[in-house]
Amino acid sequence: MIKTSRKKWAEPPYSWLEVNRGKCNQCGLCVEMCPMDVLRMGPGKLPYMRYRDDCWYCDVCVSVCPRKAVTLKGLPYLIR
Amino acid sequence: MLHVKKADIVIIGGGAAGTMAAIHAHRANPALKVAILDKSRIETSGGAGRGMDAINTIPLPPYSDPEDFVEMQTKITEGVLDQEVSYAYAERCPELVQELEEITGRAKGDLFPVDERGNYQLRYVQAVNKPMMLYMDGGNLKRSLAKAVRGSGAEVYDRTPVLKIFTEDGRIQGVLGFNIRSGDYFFIQAKAVCLTAGPAGRMGLASSGYLSNTYEFPGNSGDGYALAYEAGAELVNMECYQALTMLKDFQGPACGYVAGTRGAKSTNRAGEGIWTHAYPSGDTRLATWRTFAEGKGPIYLHTHELPEEVIRIIEHIQFGTERTGRYLFHKGRKQDYRQPKCLELAFAEEIGACGGHSSSGVNSNRQGETNIPGLFVAGDVDAGLPFSFLGGALAMGGLIGEEAAQYAAGTGWAGGNPRSRAREGIRGFEAPLKRKLGLPAHLVEFKARTRLQYYLKPPKNPEYHRIAVWWMERIRREDLPEIKAEDYHDLLKAHEIRSILLVGEMMARASLFREESRWGYQHWRVDFPEKKREWDGTWVVVRKGEKGMELGKKKVPPSRWNFPSSMEYSYPNLSFDLGVPFQRAPHYQNPLGDPWTKGRMIKMRGAGKREGG
Repeated sequence: MIKTSRKKWAEPPYSWLEVNRGKCNQCGLCVEMCPMDVLRMGPGKLPYMRYRDDCWYCDVCVSVCPRKAVTLKGLPYLIR
Repeated sequence: MLHVKKADIVIIGGGAAGTMAAIHAHRANPALKVAILDKSRIETSGGAGRGMDAINTIPLPPYSDPEDFVEMQTKITEGVLDQEVSYAYAERCPELVQELEEITGRAKGDLFPVDERGNYQLRYVQAVNKPMMLYMDGGNLKRSLAKAVRGSGAEVYDRTPVLKIFTEDGRIQGVLGFNIRSGDYFFIQAKAVCLTAGPAGRMGLASSGYLSNTYEFPGNSGDGYALAYEAGAELVNMECYQALTMLKDFQGPACGYVAGTRGAKSTNRAGEGIWTHAYPSGDTRLATWRTFAEGKGPIYLHTHELPEEVIRIIEHIQFGTERTGRYLFHKGRKQDYRQPKCLELAFAEEIGACGGHSSSGVNSNRQGETNIPGLFVAGDVDAGLPFSFLGGALAMGGLIGEEAAQYAAGTGWAGGNPRSRAREGIRGFEAPLKRKLGLPAHLVEFKARTRLQYYLKPPKNPEYHRIAVWWMERIRREDLPEIKAEDYHDLLKAHEIRSILLVGEMMARASLFREESRWGYQHWRVDFPEKKREWDGTWVVVRKGEKGMELGKKKVPPSRWNFPSSMEYSYPNLSFDLGVPFQRAPHYQNPLGDPWTKGRMIKMRGAGKREGG
């Protein structure tokens, strides 16, 4: 029930999505394709889970990434 | 900012049914302008957004005929069925399979399996002796459908949920959409509207407490039901709940189709079988309930005895086409499909409403028409073709696209000022955004969905259903006006709660209205624990009246085929003999009243006065 903080941060808040900084070219396809509108481009120009708790763990973000930069590390804590 | 647009046909929802409606509407009449709105993005939205591995109910010659499908549907709906709709779907199935191969650009035998004679290879699942399930390698089905829609020239409004359907003089006038990325409003005047906005899948909350822990795509919060209701459409079978057996905590499919049709078995903890077929009919649901009620749970799906090759196939589908999250789920629990008791199943963890997995939704006829001229319906929000899964959404989506094209070509634009109607729809919508402080939307949703799950879960207790109605009304009255939304994304969440509350109320009221039991577990009233003849072939209709929600009875159209209209099961007697309880002797009873506490109350009141004075 705790929502992701939307205040400014230095590092992305806790989530189960990992974006490889070396591979990601900031194309934003994952942000566009996420069916639950979870992702946004962060201040570091990398996608992050702005609306983390709306994630359906469907892995569309992973499957649409042309550079295989996105990884689901795990599942939402409450269903692990 | 408000944009006023025009389209001959507006499609609400870009899932399997909506994309097919757009493709067929264009094909039927390329001169017509088609607009499609989706709260998500049509490439990945809806139940089939990630991928699909089978069409569960599809009769295909030479192994099964349209009549076999009607027979099966008559049985599982227990006679509450318009057989003509079932037949209309079944007739379109051979054409559907070929069309999907064309749209995806896949050769025969690649998208769907074929046997040595070149016929599509079907599997047995349903409680009839004909095969009607077709495997599919459909990981990219939605991407292909979306490409065809965009290629047709349809105007696509992604991230634009529809807030309201407008009618003028009883016919369709247009829709109002809101883009959650830009904050723009779109009023789109239309001659016809195809409503394909999915099931009410985000209803009763699973025991994990995670709001997006849903079997259905969580964007499917019952908006289609709410839009239809507010526009004056009739909904039926809202009392025939969706109550599924699912992989515990993951809320994913129980593998009845993926693994069950490949040799896996489900048993209770003692190793005893539970159901005789895997179709979601009343008998299987009741047998599942009994397993837990008798303390014989959990139910396990056993895959460990299958050959390694079959286990790998199941893993390939479950970890790929379904959701990769499933792999992580098992990995985190150190579970392996080669070990016994790997898959623990749970039952009825999230009560909901769906036309595809059950039979609840907007009533429609064989043309997909509703009681509102110009409003067509297909997919999980449609009750005309119940228990029809992906096949029903695809085929009937196509059908309503064609019907809407024919209707739109022969009708003019409805009157009324679009801007003033749009303002009417927008009024109050942004209020949660303007509040300085308030309740977070997710808290209100949590409260509504936990109450729904607790009070609606069958066996249906009428008193609990009355309390559920009370809760829906209370949350609507007291909590909705207090929600504070942080941004447009959040604003949609606040709006979706309205749909959840409305559908919950429909489910509770329809259940109270139907004073009998039917469809096994799905409508089991403890106070009327048997089927009644007077309810045979009868829908409970829910509609919006002048003074609120109205309920009524309606007979289904006469049947063309006299197939058996029942499943073989009976409701249990819920009376348990617990022996002789302790009886206290009369002279050991406590006296009435409590002078000691009363004395203390007076003292405390006095102390309060002194402090305050």
